[in-house]
Amino acid sequence: MHSNRLTIVSILAIAAILLAACAPSTGTPAGTSAPASVQINGAGSTFAQPVYDAWIYAYQSVDPSVTLNYQGTGSGAGITAILDNTIDFAGSDALLTAAQYTQGKDLQMYPIMAGAIVPIYNITFNGTPPANKPLILNGKTLAGIYNATITMWNDPAILALNPDLASFLPAAKITAVHRSDGSGTTQLFTLALSAFSSSWTAGSGTSIQWPVDTAGNGIGGKGNPGVAAAVQNTPNSIGYVEFSYAISNKIAFASMINQAGILVVASADTLASAMNDFATNFNDKLTNTIVDAPGQTSWPIAGYTYIILHTSSSTDCTKELKLLQFINWALTSPTAAQIATNLGFATLPGSVQPTVLTALGQVTCNGQPVLK
Amino acid sequence: MQKAISKQHNKPAFIRKFQSALEHGDRVWIGLNIAMSVIVVAIMVLIGILLWNQSAVSRQQIGLSFLSPFAAPTWDPVNNTYNTWSFIYGTLITSLVAIVIAVPLSIGIAIFLSELCPPWLRAPLSMLVELLSAIPSVVYGLWGIFVFLPAVITPVGIFLGDALGSIPLLGGFFAGPIAASGSSRLAAGIILAIMIIPTIAAVSRDVFLAIPSSQREASLALGATRWETIGRVLVPYGTSGILGAVILGLGRALGETMAVTMVIGNSLNSSISLLKPGYTMSSLIANQFAESVNALNTSALIEVALVLFLMTLALNIIARLLVWRVSRRFPAEART
Repeated sequence: MHSNRLTIVSILAIAAILLAACAPSTGTPAGTSAPASVQINGAGSTFAQPVYDAWIYAYQSVDPSVTLNYQGTGSGAGITAILDNTIDFAGSDALLTAAQYTQGKDLQMYPIMAGAIVPIYNITFNGTPPANKPLILNGKTLAGIYNATITMWNDPAILALNPDLASFLPAAKITAVHRSDGSGTTQLFTLALSAFSSSWTAGSGTSIQWPVDTAGNGIGGKGNPGVAAAVQNTPNSIGYVEFSYAISNKIAFASMINQAGILVVASADTLASAMNDFATNFNDKLTNTIVDAPGQTSWPIAGYTYIILHTSSSTDCTKELKLLQFINWALTSPTAAQIATNLGFATLPGSVQPTVLTALGQVTCNGQPVLK
Repeated sequence: MQKAISKQHNKPAFIRKFQSALEHGDRVWIGLNIAMSVIVVAIMVLIGILLWNQSAVSRQQIGLSFLSPFAAPTWDPVNNTYNTWSFIYGTLITSLVAIVIAVPLSIGIAIFLSELCPPWLRAPLSMLVELLSAIPSVVYGLWGIFVFLPAVITPVGIFLGDALGSIPLLGGFFAGPIAASGSSRLAAGIILAIMIIPTIAAVSRDVFLAIPSSQREASLALGATRWETIGRVLVPYGTSGILGAVILGLGRALGETMAVTMVIGNSLNSSISLLKPGYTMSSLIANQFAESVNALNTSALIEVALVLFLMTLALNIIARLLVWRVSRRFPAEART
């Protein structure tokens, strides 16, 4: 009896599957499909991801026929993906290496906006310091802290920079927090430290060997949240996070005295000033560093984030056009600029924009320029 | 019976054919099982081959100095100099701390669950212990950062540093002061202990439950107290099985990544102290692999993975051998 029932159930199940497979599909009658939608995929930089996400959301109302998709996989993974042609554009804070240019044949980097890194801190003051007086640092001091040559909060170098806080800074050891994961943020920060001080010998990169770790006073936190949590939980510590992360999470950050000797606070304006300082320094690869800018109002720890495209190998011209239109919108539209500013980034100032737009105009598809 | 047979013959041919296919499925079933077990072995071998091949650049360019315990701690992607010893040390010392804390606790839990616990409490309590292993490790990590480190590790670390820091030899492992955040090898070890307790406790409980009641009865009949029965009969009887459980727990401790990364401090230094931040092999790989941009760095990370793979593989083989030994030690009839 039992095996009988099993047989019947099996036959019924198979019949049901066959019926389902053979039934005419009534969902999408042929010929009357929705208006042609273009799917564009990007991946890479997590640094710039908040802005790309917000831009993509806003762009839906600008051009509804485009479906953009951006995944924050990390700059390295983004570069690998564009080399493998699995995505249409890559976001990257890291520069392509010579080998990658050779491998990718027609890859080009386009600066799209600049972001800032800010030092964050958690100091147990002696007594109550005056309100609204953030810690002030300069490049040499910051490099000294991460180099473990400045190890105490009451070091003369820090006291001299902070006359208002001098009597409140404790005689406590500085714990320096850095990113444990490989990151464009670390690359930018260490690039700035290299520019600030000739005694910074650890170099710059997405991951480096931290002198302050070797000295036993360093801690690594995973991602911006990990660094922020470590700083908040560690009395008398200092760390660095993206400016956008600090403002969206309302974390107090330090001001800096820049190369010109002027006190500056991170903002879209001081970022734009740093970009202006180096507006004429673009090389033929359209890359540029803007750390330790000489201008009076320039934030010293800043960097471009780039979009990487294939410039001539695309064969789907509709898609290429839509992608370039999106990038053009991001570079020129006031809406896009406002979105970036709100998130702690700054789009390209007038001194830089034409260079990038000209380069975008040179992108071709099947031999023809895409933007006319 | 007669009726059933005649009924069979009345069926259409295709149904009979289908039925006989179902009934003779044993051969298919055996084939499937063999395929599955071959796949498991093949996956292990392929992982090994892949790690070996992908780490070729690192093995050739760095050579054996990669594993040297005498070199200064180095992991410098900028200058491309790498040494893995600090990370091996971090992995081993955190796992050791975990084992030292987890083993007595787990065996206590197992003895209570199998020997002393009132029957109505046994099922819910076993479930709770096993539930510990269902908590995602990232949750342990977050709890570690925000609650466990400041509330427990920092005060315990200060106490250990004061109490043990000045003892010769041993003191090196407790050289303070502990960082104010509590991020340290000790923190990682204790979080790992909490994570491996369910594994060790559950397997040990099964070991105790598998001990034939004739053993307990014989011991009690000879006049031994319950305590003596547990200590002199049950624990020695189950030693190999418990050892197997411990090594399974150790395997998990060696490979755990997320929770450890969040509490250990990810700091490369030459200190051996438990109270200082450290770094483990799995954390290093998780941290650096995604954004590793140069070939030697990537290859070196894969070589770390290879070393970790071989370490855990060796431990698991030992665990299997021990479990196999305990199941072979007593004849089948004694186990009923």
